[in-house]
Amino acid sequence: MVQFHEQIIGELLEDPNGGLVVLSSGLSLPKLISSLLHLHSSTTGTLLLLSPPSLKSLILHHHHSNHLQLPSEISAEFPANHRLSLYSSNSVFFITPRILIVDLLSNKLSPSLISGLVILNAHSLSETSTEAFIVRILRSSNRDLYVRAFSDKPHAMVSGFAKAERTMKCLYLKRLHLWPRFQVHVAEELERDPPVVVDVRVPMTKYMVGIQKAIIEVMDACLKEMRKTNKVDVEDLTVENGLFKSFDEIVRRQLDPIWHTLGKKTKQLVSDLKTLRKLLDYLVRYDAVTFLKYLDTLRVSESFRSVWIFAESSYKIFEYAKKRVYRFGRSDGAKPSGQGKSVTGKKRKSKGDDKNEKEVGGTSSASTSSGLVLEEVLEEAPKWKVLREVLEEIEGERQKQREEFQVEGEENDSGIVLVACKDERSCMQLEECILNSTQKVMREEWEKYLLNKVDLRDLQTRYKKKPKDPKGFGVLDGIVPITPAPNAQASSSINKQEHDALLAAASELRNQAKKDCAIGDDPQPHDSSKKGGKGKRKGRSKKGPANVQSPGNNKAARNDKVETSDSENEGKKDEINPATVDKPILRKHTQESNGSRTAKPLPPAHFYALESDQPILDTLKPSVIIVYQPDITFVREIEVYKSENLSKNLKVYFLFYEDSTEVQKFEASIRRENAAFESLIRQKSMMMIPVDQDGRCLGLNSSVEPQASSSQNSITRKAGGRKEIEKEMQVIVDMREFMSSLPNILHQRGMRIIPVTLEVGDYIISPLICVERKSIQDLFMSFTSGRLYHQVETMVRYYKIPVLLIEFSQDKSFSFQSASDIGDDVTPNSIISKLSLLALHFPRLRIIWSRSLHATAEIFASLKANQDEPDETKAMRVGVPSEEGIVEDDVRAENYNTSAIEFLRRLPGVTDSNYRAIMDGCNSLADLALLPVERLAELMGGQKAARTLREFLDAKYPTLL
Amino acid sequence: SAAAPATSSSLSTSFATQSRNAILVSHRQKGNPLLKHIRNVRWAFADIVCDYLLGQSSCALYLSLRYHLLHPDYLYYRIRELQKNFKLRVVLCHVDVEDVAKPLLEVTKTALLHDCTLLCAWSLEECGRYLETIKVYENKPADIIQGQMDTDYLSRLTHALTTVRHVNKTDVVTLGTTFGSLSHIMDASMEDLARCPGIGERKVKRLYDTFHEPFKRAV
Repeated sequence: MVQFHEQIIGELLEDPNGGLVVLSSGLSLPKLISSLLHLHSSTTGTLLLLSPPSLKSLILHHHHSNHLQLPSEISAEFPANHRLSLYSSNSVFFITPRILIVDLLSNKLSPSLISGLVILNAHSLSETSTEAFIVRILRSSNRDLYVRAFSDKPHAMVSGFAKAERTMKCLYLKRLHLWPRFQVHVAEELERDPPVVVDVRVPMTKYMVGIQKAIIEVMDACLKEMRKTNKVDVEDLTVENGLFKSFDEIVRRQLDPIWHTLGKKTKQLVSDLKTLRKLLDYLVRYDAVTFLKYLDTLRVSESFRSVWIFAESSYKIFEYAKKRVYRFGRSDGAKPSGQGKSVTGKKRKSKGDDKNEKEVGGTSSASTSSGLVLEEVLEEAPKWKVLREVLEEIEGERQKQREEFQVEGEENDSGIVLVACKDERSCMQLEECILNSTQKVMREEWEKYLLNKVDLRDLQTRYKKKPKDPKGFGVLDGIVPITPAPNAQASSSINKQEHDALLAAASELRNQAKKDCAIGDDPQPHDSSKKGGKGKRKGRSKKGPANVQSPGNNKAARNDKVETSDSENEGKKDEINPATVDKPILRKHTQESNGSRTAKPLPPAHFYALESDQPILDTLKPSVIIVYQPDITFVREIEVYKSENLSKNLKVYFLFYEDSTEVQKFEASIRRENAAFESLIRQKSMMMIPVDQDGRCLGLNSSVEPQASSSQNSITRKAGGRKEIEKEMQVIVDMREFMSSLPNILHQRGMRIIPVTLEVGDYIISPLICVERKSIQDLFMSFTSGRLYHQVETMVRYYKIPVLLIEFSQDKSFSFQSASDIGDDVTPNSIISKLSLLALHFPRLRIIWSRSLHATAEIFASLKANQDEPDETKAMRVGVPSEEGIVEDDVRAENYNTSAIEFLRRLPGVTDSNYRAIMDGCNSLADLALLPVERLAELMGGQKAARTLREFLDAKYPTLL
Repeated sequence: SAAAPATSSSLSTSFATQSRNAILVSHRQKGNPLLKHIRNVRWAFADIVCDYLLGQSSCALYLSLRYHLLHPDYLYYRIRELQKNFKLRVVLCHVDVEDVAKPLLEVTKTALLHDCTLLCAWSLEECGRYLETIKVYENKPADIIQGQMDTDYLSRLTHALTTVRHVNKTDVVTLGTTFGSLSHIMDASMEDLARCPGIGERKVKRLYDTFHEPFKRAV
């Protein structure tokens, strides 16, 4: 345990009410929580943890490695009485907010059983979230409760107005603990014996620099364009901000309330900026071919509306990206052999080339009859070479050490070098680069690219059926493209030839692949590397074993050991992502494969994807780490790891692209975090946390006050409070509705919430009024699925006032569409048509249009004003048939066999207009099954319908065999 | 002006047939810019108690929120005038104010407690479109909002059989393979149904009752 963790816990324990802790990302929050849980004593009461699943697994890991008893999880699968016994067991549990709130409201869980609550995603809380609801209920009747909230995302704690303060208020907390990386104790501890850091700045290639410059130019142009719209706050709109994901959020947050009033152009600009940000990231993350491939798909999918694709600088992006992969030259230039006149000549020629390619393995050329030659450039990522050099250097140093000390390395040192990059994809590719040669990797990508090109062409021809002229707006740099942009589509003859040449190369490759298949060789070149010596590489790999040196063997053995210790971890991972099952988590390489290529031995390496979120440092215990793609969180993790293992000589290599946005982004993320903390420190000094005489905080919302005090009064002055209790408003809420915030808001307004499982409706607000709530997204989805129709159908059957509540989101626009989007005709897909149809078919259905959650609560309250309170047991029975099959309160059910009628109406041929006649004509469904087609035709008023029904009734059920 | 009487008499005869396909508009609505946006359906002025007569038993009242703020009682009196003559009574609410919460709450409450369906629109175009659509869809079946149903035999069979409570897809397969066709299922005895694996006592009873109880119970 690091010391500052002890200090954090120490400070936190000072206040019996708990507090909010915000710490820098990467300062191992899971470990901190694990130690905190360890302190829980079983005499005080039960401790509940509300945690996102990713953190949960990490906490469990730390708990496990410290041989502590693992906290279990209370899930909805447990029956209620089991849950109750767990709640009173005084131990530690993970639980989801939804289960907790339902158990609290239905009095299954008495608040006095709970001693504390730990919330791990403080940054995503708001006044309306279920967590706040839980705390409010727990606090109102359990004053000794402590709430400890944590967040390691400081920048998320400062988004929006006074976020930290509001979060604290809704959790009734008084103390804010800030633990930035620059906090003196943290800094002291982490910098006492820092790891040896080697910063490797790798220059980018000429084209990469060019692309980066072009992307930033286009981004800048988009931003300028955006400012012109006068719709957004200019201050946040900088290219530096544009590097982060949160940039999209900033823009969306500003634009959401007026989203429907925006023109297509502005909306497009927003999405373009997102695309460009991705491109910048991919430029340094992907290899040249993959980057080009991504650009190609972008062009296919985006060419219609995009603004950026038609900007002047974008041309350069495409051009340079292409130049990194291939080049065209006149065949009579460099290559004397590349000239084929006839079609057959071409074919023969290219085959020859292919052979050539196999033998040399270098650049080759495919030619077309037009005389253009496709020259492969296949620029490798500069970091690949550097990574190999670094690995070689590490091994060299080790060799030297070994010679000096005459020992085989320390026993506790696994000797594995940890290489950390952002995603799984880079991991696999880097592994291949080290395992095989970088050229081979590039070649495989290139072959895949060419094969893909054929598919893409199919797609493009399909696209061409649509209007050919580009619909881009061409506003950037004031350029209006009159002809399609130079690179938009192969229109000029040069482009056409280029295209043909690529296709020729692709089809050639495909033929080759087919042939390989026929021979029985490995069809996928990609696979051959993994399977080791096969096919072409046989000759080479034979040489391999001869080259193996003794240290290499030893290491391989040790690797195995590590692998087994890691296997449990691996299993966990596989569960999460089945796609990675066949992928070994330990991407170590052995000497054999590259022995022939380079004489220099490499140390074993493990490639780790940062996004996979595993406690890799603690499981692998590496002494050398190469950070291939820098990430601030991981850097902090390394620091903590080092300070926990002071005796270890840790060496860390950082690979940066020089002058790249990668560096900028890394530095900016540190600056951003620091700025967030500075802002939090400022906020802390000015915070207004009201404290009442009991030392408890009152909520921000004044409407909470009467509610809180009334429930207090009810305890202390029972006789006086009784009348009030009787008049308390009640709302019956379906269990499933606790995903939304409305129950919370209703409770805040002083209504009693009764959670039950409802068969019909979401909210029962009086014996007459039943409400089905739909958010906008839900509304659209359940119209399409037909769900809404059936929900309304049942509501209409059982309630006098069935209500559809259409609830808009507070921070989004209050409307479906802008006037310009309405179109000229009545179309069946429009939301207007669907709502009209719903109203026509259910004239008794009432519709509530609500601006926000709070407006809904207001409407509910005013509707309840002159109505009786709903009856819980009655509401639960509605729509649920009793043993006799008769549904209570269903007026029709007394006179009709409703399920038979429903069944009848779903049979083919039966329509709204003829089902009554059928019911009149026969007694029951069993009777109907025996009626001949002639009689059916009489009843149904048509031969066709009768035949349809008869055929369906008699159709032979398809056998399973 | 001499031709006027002749045309007017021919108009009046065609009026009855025409009016069935047209939206009838109250004279009160004269000058409402909304009328410009009714383009897909014909409309004509008429002496009617509602603002827009959209079908034999459907009508609409138009209300601008801005107007409601000035005359909060207007809507109530208009609704009361309608009496009980219509099945579908729409209050078409034009949301033309910024601060909607309070006026919309009042309109919602009035409409809900006086048997009116509230439809909100944010522009005159949208208001017009609602009127057009309700007229055009007057006799349209609800299939576009009932969800796409697969038309193959098995899904249709499942769709029908699952109306019986607690019968699931597996049961449908069991029933199908046991009895061979739907008519045989419908004709099966209680014992035969009970012999199917997975179909318990209660399901047997529900299925049997659905098929054999008369559509109309004897009162």
